[in-house]
Formats: sequence, structure tokens, C-alpha cells
Amino acid sequence: MTILAHRDYQNPEQHEAEVVVIGTGAGGAVVGAELAESGREVLFLEEGGYHPTSSFNPYLTESIPRLFRDAGGTIIMGRPPIPYAEGRCVGGGTVVNGGMAWRPPEEVLTQWERMTGQPDLGVKAMEPLFDRVEGRIHAKPQHPSSIGEDSRLLEEGSRRLGWRYERNPRAQDRCVGSNQCVTGCPTGAKQSTLVSYLPHALSSGARCLTEVRAHRLWIEGGRCVGVIGKGINPQTRREDIDVRVRAKAVVIACGAVQTPFLLLGHRLGRPSRQLGKNFLCHPNTKVVGIYPHDLYAWQGVSQGGQIREFRDDGILMAENAVPPGTAAAQIPFLADEALELMKHYNAMAMTGVLVEDSHAGTVTRSFGAPMAKYSITNYDHERFLRGVRYLATLHFEMGADKVILPFSNFHVARRVDDLAQIERTQRSRSTIELFTVHMMGTCRMGSRPRDSVVDLSGELWDLPGCYVADASLFPTAVGVNPQVTIMALATRVAQRLHLPN
Amino acid sequence: MVLNSVLQRHPDDGWTLAVPMKVGTRMGRVLLGLADAILPPSPRAETTLEDVTRHALVCLQYMPRSSAMIFLFGMRLLNWSPLWRLQGLRPLTALPTDAARRHLVAITRSRWLPVRLLMYGPLGLFMSWYFDQDYVHRELGYAPVPFVAERIELRRKWIEGQEPGTNEAIHHLPIGPP
Repeated sequence: MTILAHRDYQNPEQHEAEVVVIGTGAGGAVVGAELAESGREVLFLEEGGYHPTSSFNPYLTESIPRLFRDAGGTIIMGRPPIPYAEGRCVGGGTVVNGGMAWRPPEEVLTQWERMTGQPDLGVKAMEPLFDRVEGRIHAKPQHPSSIGEDSRLLEEGSRRLGWRYERNPRAQDRCVGSNQCVTGCPTGAKQSTLVSYLPHALSSGARCLTEVRAHRLWIEGGRCVGVIGKGINPQTRREDIDVRVRAKAVVIACGAVQTPFLLLGHRLGRPSRQLGKNFLCHPNTKVVGIYPHDLYAWQGVSQGGQIREFRDDGILMAENAVPPGTAAAQIPFLADEALELMKHYNAMAMTGVLVEDSHAGTVTRSFGAPMAKYSITNYDHERFLRGVRYLATLHFEMGADKVILPFSNFHVARRVDDLAQIERTQRSRSTIELFTVHMMGTCRMGSRPRDSVVDLSGELWDLPGCYVADASLFPTAVGVNPQVTIMALATRVAQRLHLPN
Repeated sequence: MVLNSVLQRHPDDGWTLAVPMKVGTRMGRVLLGLADAILPPSPRAETTLEDVTRHALVCLQYMPRSSAMIFLFGMRLLNWSPLWRLQGLRPLTALPTDAARRHLVAITRSRWLPVRLLMYGPLGLFMSWYFDQDYVHRELGYAPVPFVAERIELRRKWIEGQEPGTNEAIHHLPIGPP
């Protein structure tokens, strides 16, 4: 198993491989593993470090700089601004996500088929890919022993209100509900690519260079022939080692923000001018019920299920217990007021509303960093208000003392009648507090160069030898957690990747 | 089988955190003052303010330089918020902690989004650090380490063939029909 880090590098560091894959998350690890297992010589480039399961602990201050991009300080600019989180470590976002394994709804795949005019992205063609991925990540609902009190509360609340609640299929093998999904699963049960795809890739001969940031593609004669990057000193964070990898094909899987950022440095995507456009992010917001009794929501699996009653309107609701550090950072109180509220941490049921995008934003380059811009529409805003009201109603139905709302000018509802104030006080889109972890779009896949960035095998229309294999391929939002769809499309890219002789 | 976690701070996986970003004495004072106003006065350890400031400067090292510079500029703006809010001529660092806190609360609840936005960074960095400390966890009744250790053991037994039974379920309440 070859995983190299900054301390192993010489300046300059040069490598050759048949395929170089940038990124080791849901897209990169899958495409690399599929290729390595079929006998290809694969080299991964990963900007973050290698942190094995044995190093994960429940402390946020340890985990955030290790596992998250920019130590969690990333934000989408717009109205309102939306903080977002993405993984930066071996395993990428799959190390720090909830491991939900939903296939996209059939109508989404049907729409993709219609948009591209080809059957490749349709339900029938995608089914074997989903089957393959779900088998490899053990996608299935949780064992009853791992379900926590907050999940049970949401399920029962949904039953009382007559709403459809479904247990989540999750990428897990014998998950026992330690509830540490966002700081790296300390039991190894969550089937992130760190413990599922990557070990297979590495045992098939793939190599992984960690702590390397890809800066430019290496282009010769109009073809992509490698990657030029810099090794990052983990202590000083200086990029002090030149790294060059020459390959017959390059696969970019850095996510829907970093992938277009890299490609935009080369003025690619010219035929359609769609590169960096079509940025989608499934914004979501939080609603916290505070109960008269302790729930210990930090015990038991994160997101045992989802309320899918309003799925056709693009609204999903779920519980999502986060550590106290994350919860405290999201409440609008300081000092003693914050502590007094946080003393009810054990009695909190942290829930969220996810709204499917009704329009798209952009990703551009600005002062040497990616700049994501996205504003919610009035339609999105109206659905958020509905979703917040639904969840707050559920909390009161289940006996909550009060509900913390995600509005800068209306924080606390003490009874169900208070919820009538939501419509009256929330006229502006600027007062809602949002967050996201599902960035998608920006390198849309298609069958025509005039309206897409890559073809149906993931290869850039205007740069042969350069492929994309991450959530940036999505032609539209999927409306569910995107991990399985990313993995399925990455499997497709691996199957269709063509190497020159 | 995947090795289980040892659940300790500073896990020995051969990886080190970055050294804190270097800032001037004045900026150091601004960060200390903001942390003092934002964090609950108790419980604290002797070095809480120095430690949280150090953590913030470590986190800045992981951001693009332009983002880190914008953050630090935002801290300067916050420090001089009494002036631009027409509430006084002295910066927060020259005010008593309670007075500084009142300014920051007003900014957090401002009706203007760009003003509220100034508090996103310090609230996120300082609060997430503070509420991640063992002495604060004790105050909240939050004890993830023994719980996770117990679940790791449960999974180990499961892998050996002993599927969890009903007495291993996580139930504290008789949630059911009213």
C-alpha cells in the first residue's frame, strides 16, 4: 500500500501513471478503484492528509482542520450567504458526511435522459451502476439497535401528523450508532471510500500522493497529459515542493467548487460557456426543538430517516444531531445566554429542512481562490418557511417546550401559535440562516458540446484526455443526498475512460 | 477488520496541526478581546482565551490567504464597531467586557446582513472551540468518549458474530402514541 505524504517528497517530485485521479472522495476513489482493479496503473493526488479510522475521535477542534477544507471556513456568497462544508482528506467528503445512500428519484433520471437526448443517464441504463455501488458500500437501513431517540421522535411525530417517514439507506456495515459521522467514523462502520473503495484500489497497486494541491493541468498538443501541483508542508502550510505527474489520462474529482476552479484556470469549457455555471447546492436550514426531558440525540445514528411527505415539492426534513461545538456556532447567542441555551443540549432535537434548488449559481476564480455565488429564489424562500413551520409544528406536537428558529429576527417560538408570525416577519430572503454540504453542477454532462462541459463518458469536449468524475457532472439537482449518484457516474466514467496507445 | 479509534485528542497518526498564523500584537489583542466578549465567562480554564485565539490562528492557516486576510480585516472592523455604529469613539478592546459584549450582541441581531455577516467567523471559530472542551462538556452533561468506546466494543462483538440485542438499543424515553 503506497500512501506518500509531504515528508516523503523530494523537490521536485515526479511520477508517471496511466491514469492520475485528483481527489479521493465519492468520485475520485470510485473511478480510481474501478480502474486499478481492472489492471490500470493509477495514481491519486489528494490535497488533504491521510487519517485512518484509528485516528478519529469525537473532538471537533481536532477533526475540523484535519478533515475539512479551509478548516470549515468556506462560504457561498449571495442572499443569504451560505456556509458550506466539504471534506479535505483521504476519502474526501465521504469521511465527514452522513453516509446517506439514496438513489435519485426516477423523474430526475428521466429528465436527464430527456435533456441529453440519450438513454445513458436514464433509469434503465443507470440501474446496474447503482446496484454495483450499493453492493460495494453496503447501502441498507440501520439496525434497530443504532437508532437514537431523535430519530424515533421524528418518526413518531410524522406518524401523528400523517406524514410519510422513511428509514435512510446508509453506506454502513454493522453501524452501531456512535453518531460521529461528521468527525470521521471511529468504528469503521460507515463505508466511506477510506474504508471501502480505496483499500481495494491500493491493494491493486494504486498509489496515493497526499498533501498535494493540483494547480494546473499539463497540456501538450491539445491533449491533457498530466497534472502540475505543489506539495503542502503540513506545519507551515506553505506550498514548497513541485509535484509533476505525467499520465495518459487525468480524472478530476475535486467537487463542484474546486473542479471548475481548476479548469477555469485554462479557459476551458468554451463551446458551451457552461463551465462554472449551473452551480446547485441543496441549501438547508435548522430547526431545534428543546424538550422538557433529555433525548441524548448525540447517541444513535445521525439521520436514521427522512420525512419524505413533501418530496414532490422539493422539501426533505430530517434529524441531524451535531456535536455541541457545531450547535453553539449556529445559534445567535453569545456568552452566558449561549451557555444557558446549550445546557439544554441533551434535550435538543436538531432537525433540518433541505430544499431542492429551483435555480443555479456560479463558480468563478477570484484572487486565487474559488468564488461560489448563489442566491435562493422567492420560491425557495417560501418552501423554506413552509418546511420550518412543518418541523416546528412537529416539535410542538411531540411536546417541545420551545423551538429555535433559523431567522435572524425571530429566534424562538414558545408555542405553536407563535409560528403564525413566520409569514409576517420573514419577508426578506436575508434573514434566514442556511447551510449546505451538497454542492453539484458546474461541469454539466451532456451529449452536445453546445450545452454541456463534458460528454457522456465524462471527458471534456475541448480537452481530450481530461475527465471529470464528481458531483459537478450533474445536469440538474438530484433532490436527495448525492453520494450514490456521484459514485454511479464515477463508475460510468471508469468504464468508458479511453486511454491512447 | 478496520482498527478502532483510541478516542484521544492528538491521535498519533503522524500528522501535525499547522503552526498558528503570525499576526501583530495589536491583532492578537483584538482577537483576545473578541474571544473574551463572545465566550461565556464561566467555566473557563486559565488559558482559555489564549488557547481559543491560538486555535483561530491555526484554522486561518488552512484557508486561502485572501480568506484569512478578509477574516482579520473583519476583526478590525468589529473592534471599531462602536465608532461606525455611532455608539462611541473607543474600540472594543478599550471597553469593559460587558460593554463590548453588548455591542457584539447588537451586531449579531442587526437587521443588515453585511453587518451580521461580520460575526459569522468569530462565532464559528470561538464557539466551536469552547464547546469542544472537556470542562464545558461536563457542564452540558455530554460525554461522547465513553459512549463511543462502548459502541466500538459492541461492533467488535457483532463482527465476531454476536448481533446486538434489544438491551443494546439506545432508548431513554417511552416515545409512542399519546
